[in-house]
Amino acid sequence: MGADVIKEIGERPVYPEDASFAHVTESVARVTENPAPRGWWMLFLPAVALTGGLFAALAYLVTFGIGSWGNNHPVGWAWDITNFVWWIGIGHAGTLISAILYLFRQKWRTSINRFAEAMTIFAVMQAGLFPAIHTGRPWFDYYLFPIPNQMGIWPNFKSPLMWDVFAVSTYMTISIIFWYVGLIPDLATIRDRSKSRVRKAAYGFFALGWRGSTRHWLHYERAYLIFAAISTPLVLSVHSVVSFDFATSVIPGWHTTIFPPYFVAGAVFSGFALVMTLMLIARQVFSMQDLVSIKHLELMNKFMLATGLMVGYAYAMEFFVAWYSGNEYEQWVFLHNRLGLRDGEGNLGPYWWAYFAMVFCNVVVPQSFWFKRLRTSIPWMFVATILINIGMWFERFVIIVTSLHRDYLPSSWGMFWPTAIDILLYLGTFGFFMTLFLLFIRWLPMIAIAEVKAALPHAQPHHDDTAYGASPAPIAAE
Amino acid sequence: MSRRKPFEFGPAPKGTPMVWRSLEEKHRDPEETRKLAETEFPTSVVEPANLVGRRAFLGVTGASAAVAFSGCIRRPVNEILPFTEQVEYRVPGAPVHYATVAERRGEAIGLLVESHEGRPTKVEGNPVHPASKGGTDAFAQASVLDLYDPDRSPAPARRVDGAWEEASWDEFDKVLAELARSHEGNGGDGLRLLVTPSTSPSVLRMREQVRRRFPGARIHRYASVSDQNALDGARVAFGEHVRPVYALDQAQVVLALDSDFLVTETGAVRNARAFAERRRPASPQDPMSRLYVVEGTFSVTGGNADHRLRLPSSQVEAYLRALAAELVTKHGVELAEVAGAVRGGGTPKGVPARWVKVVAEELATHQGRAPILVGERQPARVHALAWALNHALGNVGASVQLVPAPTAAAGEGDADLASLAADLEAGRVRTLFILGGNPAYDAPADVNLAQGLAKDGVLSVHLSTHRDETSQLCNWHLPMTHALEQWGDLRALDGTLAIQQPLIAPLYPARSELEVTAMLAGLEAWRGYGLVRATVRAEGGVAGAFESFWRRSLHSGVVGAAGLEPLAEPAVRSSDVVAALGAAQAAQAPTKDALEVVFLVDYGLFDGRHGNNPWMLELPNTMTKTVWGNAAWLSPKTAAALGVRTDDVVRLSRQGARDIEIPVFVLPGHADWVVTLPLGWGRSSAGRYGNGVGFDVHPLRTRDGFGFASGVRLEKTSGSHKNVQSQEHSIMEGRPIAIDATREPVRTGDPRYADMPAYSDSPEFAAYRTVLATTPPLWEQVDYSGVNKWGMTIDLSACTGCNACVVACQAENNIPSVGRTHAALGRMMHWIRLDRYFVGMDEDNPLVALQPVACQQCEEAPCENVCPVNATVHSPEGLNDMSYNRCVGTRYCMNNCPYKVRKFNYLNWNTYLHSEDGEPRTYGDMPETLKMQYNPNVTVRFRGVMEKCTYCVQRIERHKVVAKREKRSLRTDEFTSACAQACPSSAITFGNLNDADAAVTRWAAVDRSYKLLAEIGTQPRTTFLGKIRNPNPAMLQGSATTEAG
Repeated sequence: MGADVIKEIGERPVYPEDASFAHVTESVARVTENPAPRGWWMLFLPAVALTGGLFAALAYLVTFGIGSWGNNHPVGWAWDITNFVWWIGIGHAGTLISAILYLFRQKWRTSINRFAEAMTIFAVMQAGLFPAIHTGRPWFDYYLFPIPNQMGIWPNFKSPLMWDVFAVSTYMTISIIFWYVGLIPDLATIRDRSKSRVRKAAYGFFALGWRGSTRHWLHYERAYLIFAAISTPLVLSVHSVVSFDFATSVIPGWHTTIFPPYFVAGAVFSGFALVMTLMLIARQVFSMQDLVSIKHLELMNKFMLATGLMVGYAYAMEFFVAWYSGNEYEQWVFLHNRLGLRDGEGNLGPYWWAYFAMVFCNVVVPQSFWFKRLRTSIPWMFVATILINIGMWFERFVIIVTSLHRDYLPSSWGMFWPTAIDILLYLGTFGFFMTLFLLFIRWLPMIAIAEVKAALPHAQPHHDDTAYGASPAPIAAE
Repeated sequence: MSRRKPFEFGPAPKGTPMVWRSLEEKHRDPEETRKLAETEFPTSVVEPANLVGRRAFLGVTGASAAVAFSGCIRRPVNEILPFTEQVEYRVPGAPVHYATVAERRGEAIGLLVESHEGRPTKVEGNPVHPASKGGTDAFAQASVLDLYDPDRSPAPARRVDGAWEEASWDEFDKVLAELARSHEGNGGDGLRLLVTPSTSPSVLRMREQVRRRFPGARIHRYASVSDQNALDGARVAFGEHVRPVYALDQAQVVLALDSDFLVTETGAVRNARAFAERRRPASPQDPMSRLYVVEGTFSVTGGNADHRLRLPSSQVEAYLRALAAELVTKHGVELAEVAGAVRGGGTPKGVPARWVKVVAEELATHQGRAPILVGERQPARVHALAWALNHALGNVGASVQLVPAPTAAAGEGDADLASLAADLEAGRVRTLFILGGNPAYDAPADVNLAQGLAKDGVLSVHLSTHRDETSQLCNWHLPMTHALEQWGDLRALDGTLAIQQPLIAPLYPARSELEVTAMLAGLEAWRGYGLVRATVRAEGGVAGAFESFWRRSLHSGVVGAAGLEPLAEPAVRSSDVVAALGAAQAAQAPTKDALEVVFLVDYGLFDGRHGNNPWMLELPNTMTKTVWGNAAWLSPKTAAALGVRTDDVVRLSRQGARDIEIPVFVLPGHADWVVTLPLGWGRSSAGRYGNGVGFDVHPLRTRDGFGFASGVRLEKTSGSHKNVQSQEHSIMEGRPIAIDATREPVRTGDPRYADMPAYSDSPEFAAYRTVLATTPPLWEQVDYSGVNKWGMTIDLSACTGCNACVVACQAENNIPSVGRTHAALGRMMHWIRLDRYFVGMDEDNPLVALQPVACQQCEEAPCENVCPVNATVHSPEGLNDMSYNRCVGTRYCMNNCPYKVRKFNYLNWNTYLHSEDGEPRTYGDMPETLKMQYNPNVTVRFRGVMEKCTYCVQRIERHKVVAKREKRSLRTDEFTSACAQACPSSAITFGNLNDADAAVTRWAAVDRSYKLLAEIGTQPRTTFLGKIRNPNPAMLQGSATTEAG
């Protein structure tokens, strides 16, 4: 920590000059101390209700079987894996913001990283739910783990689904540890401010006896750096592995080498979008406009513009490769299953609307961020981020369902229609996610107090004697 | 009769360390312990009989059955023994086969039925029986499920105030005795029997005895689907009651007029086998027959045609007259007086001139080898004219034999259904026995049985397996035995007699038609067993050696060596033919306002008799691929003109018949202005599976419009009804999937295709070859030399599309049915499916390409490496094995299967459909009887588990075990898979590719072979043989090979 505030010559610091240490502590910690505002309750109660819906849908699913969904032959995976990939993609923003941006010294990340990390964990929890319940016999899911057993059978290490198990569980573990380690100084802060015995004991327990000594800070900073270094490859690996589920198959539309970078870019794209959506609500509800300034939001939007362009490039590249490969099955998938050109019987491809919804949301909408007016317009960015996440859901739906529904033999072509259970499960994961998330912002410091403080102008040893606009020498991290 | 000595445990040698199992044992005297052990665990209680091959095994079991049934003096000879005492040579767990026979539209199909611990589970064709030669049809395959139908009638019942009251046979016997007494008093006046046509000598004999006992009684005969017109036509032509036996393997040209001779006509199994013999060239030089089809619907046979003319059924007669005239005038064919009757008709409207000119040329060129087959739908006079032609062309006695029909015998000179209805109406009937059949459902619309049966003073008795529509109208219902539960005998088309022996005691207190007829005849010994023995005794003509003759007949499945003698020198009675022809007027061609309807024997339900059989309800119709329902088939042009589309419900109405409402199905290639209506659907009292499924078309069917009817109006209603299809996309989109080529350019050395001695060089195949290059493997190849390398070939040229393989697989592998709702969602479970594609640009005249697709058993299987739990793995013999217990159901393998042959149990299908009220339930229970059908050698799969074709691995393993015990290697083609065994046309072969003599190895090497989607690099073990079409270049004239009428 303790690096410079200013990233580039002439740029203003990310936090206002008058934001004092006390102000930061107060505005973050008071959320966990004061009674929840009405806005919190208005979100929390529906979220809990939806969570109930989730568990009801799960009970129904396990009782009656996968036939409660719309999946069929040939569409073996549909909303289940779409939701899995979508949620896991959302989980990417957290690690990216907290690890990669940390290593790149992007100080502005400090006001959103806690938030994003929590979102990651809760999103990965939703994601992990789907592979677990999408199996026909979920009570045998433990076959997927390399547990020594009396049957003498190991999992199939050649299967990308197996790699998923490792990638997602590793990611989940590291994300939780990273998040928790970052929380320790702030938990200690809240412990110190606590008035009741219970709060003191609870926060004290999880603060692990943090006293803020230099030695603590020394170890803490070192550990944080190491976890950041461990997490960084995970950002790339998790979604690459998820994309292998498709890329290593023989199904046209899945069998594509471009998938790993394409998926990672898409994941960051959607993750940022959801962080934004949630952040826009939270800073309104808890009045944190000064800590999460328009400047932060603008930077996030630029990120989305960049990743949106990458995703758009991947979309275009898929078409190029399909044409260039000369593979008629691959070409069919892109011309008919995706674009919806008429087939030999004269019918439109039934899923053209999904493809165009995806392109509109993921490629067209982010182009608005070229314009500063739109980039800094809070209502627009709220709408845009929601559209982007809808688009990213459609991206996975397009890849999974529209590739499967018409593959090699026209005799086995089919259609997919979701059922009420499909829909309730998906909405239910929103409820569960929001429930966890609302509990988090209610009871834990949603902004990294210590990190924000370190990024404040006052944290600069020389902040008094340097006029803004001059060029302070960057100070390396200890 | 094992020749192997039982293994005996001798005394332990001195000094052997003592092994003890309990302290008592340890302290006991060792010698005493040994003795004790011996009494407790005697050696060789179960002595396997498997040093005996299949034939010997069958012989022994057949003989043992015979011994069991006849040898014991002190037991009632007609009982099947329970297993309270172990039967000699019967090994628990080893299946036993018995020979029996099944009736099919006047034909008898010899069967071998597999029985597990006394439960028949699977039907196979009897290789010895001439009608089967080892093949079966879908109906025979499905019959085993009918046996276990949970809705079969459990007991006799009497109707009291409109409700059923359970009764017993004893009670009925008393009623019968009373009836008999009263009718004997009046000579049988007012006593009527309504029966179905039968070729059983015993049944015919009993009917004769009934007639003798009650001279005043009348026997009426009716069947919705029979071969009555064919019989009548042959009688007109030859003056005798004869039936044709075609030798299609001898035919060079086959002309089928409105005849679905490959699937539903009489003798279809026999015909399919013989026809395929000459449709399966190993090289371009091999001879190949040519099939011309003229029809008003689009039958499976039409789909097999080399040239197909879409012509309304009513116009077929005019076409045949024109053809006959052409043969007489241009080719000098001698038709005597008939020539005068057919001349001057001219070519009917809508028939292209070449269809008369070229076809006549073909028939004249191949005299003796060009049979004309006429469908049952056509009136008798068309049959008669065809016989005159067949005779004049020298086909009779060469490619078709005429064999005396058993129905010509006494007992079958019966009255018809209409006269019964009239007599009922007039009060001339006091007692009516309906023995089998379901006339209340399938009678013509202008015959009203219900009204007559409801009259007071009529006592009606219905003998039937179910309490069906007819039972509902009767005073008494008697449960009838299933064919696998009864003693009987049946004569095949060629006269071969076969014994029907029971595989199981009747599941319910039921009696056979033979037995009830015998009871009516007043026989004390009315049990079927004795009656059949008496028949066989008379038939066999052996005096002293009857027992051995009986045993031989039982075990081989045929009585004696050959069938009846064919007519030596049949002569055509030209004047009778002329008389029959002259009576008819030229039929009006159908128009938009006066459509023609054609009634089609259903490919699954037949005439409705399989209406409660979920396998058949869920069997995709080969042409439409619809399941769980029927529809009115229209051609695209007709549908467009009438403004209707597939799934629109229409009302069909006709003078003198009742209206029906039925959804439309637009079928490319169907004749214009014709509506095809499949029979057998829309039953109200079929049972829990079949009630209310599909639409009953009988209200539109009248006596004068029994096969086809004209003057039908079609109106669109506002309703809509979804036709559920197992396959919704019908064209190949230019992909090399079901590959075909035409024979002629290759064979005649057309200069354009010079230097083309092989099919692989034909232009069609050559185009495919370029894309069929196999991707080189990524990994080191497994060496399969030295092991059994199982493989399959499927010859698309021989496949007729009869669906027997689909049902056979279902029976063998315990494959569940999913019901209409889930079939619509695309969750059907068939391990082998019959893909049907339309080929060609002209949607009025498409070619049909059929392709059975099961698991291809890829050597580089894409499903295997994606399974995260190793539930699907490769066997050392190269099979792609499924381990159901290990499967968690990620469905990843199914997604990654390019052939989409993996089927997932989305719900617990085993219980799903079976609740008594017909309401699907996941947590219902499966009826006990249905459990009896399951093959104990195949795991029953729970929900959440993936499944697929295993190449019948249970059969492979069973025969490997047998071979190992006999210390030998597997013999060439010792066994085969269920689909291959069922296939009547031998389109499927299965065997060891490492065995150079195996049929599969020979066919896999034929140069029209290819692997499906080989370019992906999956290296399938299944090889397809491309379809060879044999169009006549003179017919083609650069256009499609089928044409509009």
